[in-house]
Amino acid sequence: MRRLLRISAALTLLALALMVWSVLRPTPLPVMLAMSLGQAVGTSAFAMFGLAILFDLRRSRRIRRESLSLPPLRELLAPPERGPPEGPP
Amino acid sequence: MPHDPFAWAALAGAALSAPIVIWYLVRRPPLVRGTKIALLLGIGVFPILTAGTGNIAGYEATKTRRFCGSCHVMTPYARDSEDVASPSLSSRHSRNAAFGAENCYACHADYGMFGTVTTKIGGMRHVYEYLTHFRDLSVAEALPRIHLIRPFPNGNCTRCHSTEVPGWQQIGDHAGLVDELRDSAVSCVGGGCHGPAHPFSKVGREEAAP
Repeated sequence: MRRLLRISAALTLLALALMVWSVLRPTPLPVMLAMSLGQAVGTSAFAMFGLAILFDLRRSRRIRRESLSLPPLRELLAPPERGPPEGPP
Repeated sequence: MPHDPFAWAALAGAALSAPIVIWYLVRRPPLVRGTKIALLLGIGVFPILTAGTGNIAGYEATKTRRFCGSCHVMTPYARDSEDVASPSLSSRHSRNAAFGAENCYACHADYGMFGTVTTKIGGMRHVYEYLTHFRDLSVAEALPRIHLIRPFPNGNCTRCHSTEVPGWQQIGDHAGLVDELRDSAVSCVGGGCHGPAHPFSKVGREEAAP
């Protein structure tokens, strides 16, 4: 998940660089790249960010659910119950 | 530097977004609520601002003469348009404030409901032609080969010159050919009438033709 976010951040920088290039140098190649590749890369980066946040939410929900289904701490810490005393052989 | 406010908005969005993204990449903070909000701004909100305004700025830039003249084979056309002393049709139109720096687009664009789309598709074809046929040619080699894919439509002229005003109709050639002019059967920019719009490009063309 953190790797997904790092890739998303790196792709965002790439998309921003393409867009800034097209604004500062509005000639056919930069403008075409920004409007096609830049858009695609930027959209992919945002989708990855959304996916990473979704994974994180699901993970935190799962952890919370598991913590709720655990037996109370008192029961976990209590000594194990002893069985009936063994009789003579 | 750009003069378009959309261009400035795109740069501002990028300037706000980049530090957040770089901070995340360098510092690698834990993914707590604050980090998520910062990343939402850095990867979502500000880049969307940059993309939206940058697209408008890019679209507006494609309409300028500077953009058209940025391919080397188009430089004589752009230079002639900018020359206030030139008597050519393109130069005279560029001196009109309604056309100004967008005079290439104003005359060569398609109009109507899908005009913008068809103009942009035509522009993509120009890029293809440039990359495949004209990129390695000198201007002198390219000029005899540059041509319109179809005859220039009179509708692009009559969009402004309506053909309805008395002054236009009083001219004998106009009055005699009004139907042909409106149907584009006779071109406004034909040799004997108002054109060619880029006369320098026609010099020697007859000799070059097979």
